[in-house]
Amino acid sequence: MKNIKIFIAGLSLMICFALPANAQNTQLKLDLNYNYSFPLSGFKNDLISNGSPRGFMGDLMYSFNNKLSGGLSFGFQDYYQKYPRTLYNLSKTQQISAVLTNSVQATPLLLKAKYFPQSNSFLKPYVSVGAGANIIDFKQYYGEFGSSKTNVGFRAEAGVGVKIPFTKTSTSGINIGATYDYAPYKKNGYHDLNSVNVQAGVVLQLK
Amino acid sequence: MKNKEKRKVMKRILLMLIGLTAFPIIFTSCTKDPVNNLTTDESRIYITDHDSSVNFTNYKTYSISDSVATIEDGKSSHDITDAGSAYIEAVKKYMDQAGYQLVSREDNPDLGVDVNHIINTSTGVISYGDYWSDYDGYWDPYYWGYPDYGYYIPYAYSVYQVKEGAVSIDLLDLKNASADHKINVVWTGLIRGSGVYNATVADSQVKALFDQSAYLKH
Repeated sequence: MKNIKIFIAGLSLMICFALPANAQNTQLKLDLNYNYSFPLSGFKNDLISNGSPRGFMGDLMYSFNNKLSGGLSFGFQDYYQKYPRTLYNLSKTQQISAVLTNSVQATPLLLKAKYFPQSNSFLKPYVSVGAGANIIDFKQYYGEFGSSKTNVGFRAEAGVGVKIPFTKTSTSGINIGATYDYAPYKKNGYHDLNSVNVQAGVVLQLK
Repeated sequence: MKNKEKRKVMKRILLMLIGLTAFPIIFTSCTKDPVNNLTTDESRIYITDHDSSVNFTNYKTYSISDSVATIEDGKSSHDITDAGSAYIEAVKKYMDQAGYQLVSREDNPDLGVDVNHIINTSTGVISYGDYWSDYDGYWDPYYWGYPDYGYYIPYAYSVYQVKEGAVSIDLLDLKNASADHKINVVWTGLIRGSGVYNATVADSQVKALFDQSAYLKH
């Protein structure tokens, strides 16, 4: 937990200190991406193994210079899986036969930084890191009878991608990327909501 | 020139606002609703519980109530409808298949069987703790020949609450009632979901309860 706090503080400081130093080169960009998510590890094994095609990620990024940008990342992903009717033990003597449905909605809100090592090339590959909050709405249904829990957890991500400008001089373009997301979820015997995500979308220069 | 640039910035900000509002609306409206993605059969659940200290092979005969107790908002009445008759017949069928012999109430059955239709139309919920504590109000122990005895539920069956219709079937230990000075509920089965109290589905619903209670045999 201490490491997580240090990571977020470091990321925040990096963004704050870089801001005034390069004020003359200010550029505000909005990335809007379709997001496909693949659950991993405990998420995949204990809750939902299906990939989710229902999601988006958006980044509101401030370019400090040609190589570094930072800002806010936000998104939404809906995970769903229905398991065939199975007999579950509720206690030593109590059994329930039910179709089990797990439904998870994740809404991450992260501080994010992107580094472009080849900022002068036409294609602009980048690496990214981010950390922040993950609002999790977890619903579990036996048949049509369900329970719902909402929690706010930690989420961190590391990613790679490439930006492809519309033209040689354009600052807007297309984004293609992938991230690994670490999201601990220590509730009801579950461990995490880790995932790998692939994104594609547009980058719009706002200012 | 300045106005042109201003318009350009405004246009971009407008684009951003459209994107920022449209994306979440589109995707949150595309979430899969777990209940809407269930068939009627998938919506139903079957819960059974039993007294683990009981050996069900020690019982040989049973008698079943000739009506269904309709428990509505905590008050009960006894009636017989097509659905009720179908449930009673289905219970007889699967008790017979489990090896138990149907006898009349007067022939000292080892087991008594009650069928209950539980409805709650009030804003509150009926918890199963309340269901069991009022059980002698739904089924007078006199009916089973033990007017002075109370019912006893030897297991905690309180995980679920009923907000709408459900059907429960209870097996009562009449064989040992005199010795124990109480009527133990040794097995209970609960069916919940859409359209369960219906004559056309009664057989399959009762079958599901017996299928998951393999220990229930003579």
